[in-house]
Amino acid sequence: MKKGLVKEKIRNIPTYLKSWAKTFSGSLTVFLLIILTLFPFLSQNESFINYFLRHFTLAMIFSIFAASWDFLTGISGQISFGHAIFFGIAGYLCAYLIAFQGFPIWLAIPAGALGAVGFGLIIGIPCLRLRGPYLALGTLAFSLILLKLFLLGSLSNILFGSEGISYNTGPYPLTRLSSNALIEYFIVFITLIISFIIIFQIVKSKFGTILKSIRDDETGADASGINTTRYKVYAFMISSFFAGIAGCFYALYNTSVNPVGNFGTVISFFAILMASLGGLTTISGSSLGAFFFIFLEYILIEMGVDAYVQLIFAIILILVVRFAEHGILRPIIEHLKDFWDVLLGR
Amino acid sequence: MGVILEVKNLTKKFGGLTAVNDFSFEIKRGDFVGLIGPNGAGKTTVFNLISGFEKPSSGKIRFDGIDITGMRPYKIVNYGIARTFQLVRSFKFLTLLDNVIVPCLSKRGKEVSKKVGAEEYASSILASVGLVDKARIPPIILPHGDLRKLQIAKALGTNPELLLLDEPYSGLTHEESAVLTELIKKLHDDGVTIFMTGHVLRELMTLVPRVIAMHQGKFIADGPPKEVANNKILLEAYLGKGDEYA
Repeated sequence: MKKGLVKEKIRNIPTYLKSWAKTFSGSLTVFLLIILTLFPFLSQNESFINYFLRHFTLAMIFSIFAASWDFLTGISGQISFGHAIFFGIAGYLCAYLIAFQGFPIWLAIPAGALGAVGFGLIIGIPCLRLRGPYLALGTLAFSLILLKLFLLGSLSNILFGSEGISYNTGPYPLTRLSSNALIEYFIVFITLIISFIIIFQIVKSKFGTILKSIRDDETGADASGINTTRYKVYAFMISSFFAGIAGCFYALYNTSVNPVGNFGTVISFFAILMASLGGLTTISGSSLGAFFFIFLEYILIEMGVDAYVQLIFAIILILVVRFAEHGILRPIIEHLKDFWDVLLGR
Repeated sequence: MGVILEVKNLTKKFGGLTAVNDFSFEIKRGDFVGLIGPNGAGKTTVFNLISGFEKPSSGKIRFDGIDITGMRPYKIVNYGIARTFQLVRSFKFLTLLDNVIVPCLSKRGKEVSKKVGAEEYASSILASVGLVDKARIPPIILPHGDLRKLQIAKALGTNPELLLLDEPYSGLTHEESAVLTELIKKLHDDGVTIFMTGHVLRELMTLVPRVIAMHQGKFIADGPPKEVANNKILLEAYLGKGDEYA
């Protein structure tokens, strides 16, 4: 791109932001961001900060994860049923580098994410010959293999077995992002905002249009001279990077990694669940879905019915697919907009 | 005026079925050729083999001297062959403009479109097929005739030298066919080599100066429409042997 064009684009950003903030969804987003910024300071209560608030952090971590899945499946059309792979590999790598190699957190996280990207390539390249449900099964198979591999007792010395890595498994402590829950919250919050901006820009760009064309008609994209394999690999790499970031944050959130917790099919299921509730292709719907399910789980646990969490989640997924297959984010925004118009007497 | 497409002994077997059998022909740059034959003759298979969507069992295909036999479709497109499909396909959730922008972003398409930008270039292509006022609409709600035009617009996005049109008149009304004929004639006048299959013989035979006929995967005739139309084997293939009507 010519230098003049780039400078022009950068100069246009403030105008662009202003016109975006004037739209209903834009101002709604700004409003929610402001609330999320001020919310942590609502109370000085210890239980609030160290328990309740941390669920927001957790929801934001899963927002990034679900958005990465939506980018791969909803935008690029590559159905992934094994997204836990990237989440788990990044978390394990990050935990290992901190606990056993003494890496500082700010280095271990990108390293973990890049490890997830590497895995994205290893898995992506054979899987790319598969389409649709076969790709879904292929990714699912890979995630199950990985899960078993990490659980196998015989590989415990390399892969840490079913115990995984905890706070003091290695010579260095596996700490949280910060001992201060507020700082932890804002690190994740800022990463969330930056990640979503990047993903949105990619989706809106010509590159994103090409990904969508592969989703809508791969043969047609081929016939349009597009090297679909290369773009699918790119989609896998971008998606696995952000899934990896989320995976690293999750490892640090729990100060531990273990096979079922980080590679389990439940994690892959969460990505599908959260993105689907919000709405495939919307990207922002993923955060709606993440917050919804994290807090639903929280409520169910507080109510003492945690045994039924997965069952209830599965039922909700069936209901979403049956009654709101495009997700609930857009209908909600439409209704809010109408309500707002009525309020203002339009 | 050199040879732009050279097909030699092209054969395609699907298990026990030989869809294309030792098929050979040549097309020169700037030609306007039709490919006819009854249903199941193998016309679309020939197109699939040339454009890379099927791999030949044997035989060679040369485009502008380059051996493109068995190459991946997108590579063949970037050498300069574009095709449309018998069953209309589109990027159904993208706007018409985006549909055309995608081929403009191919390696070959970019060479031409980067001067004015992909959007401008795609817009001008839509204008040339008469769809520019529907640029922001997704293909889902468009009538069949417009979708066929869209396919041609997408093919043009890659700046092709050879355009393969697979049954472009299929499902069109009389008016839509007339518009399409004008468009195809104009493309040919602009220098695009056109190779077209057809079933609606009346249109095709009056449009093209040369026709290749095939039946059951085999070459039957090659020449001006009037000549080929009188070919005995072809008539039998389409109409059956005379004594069936006795």
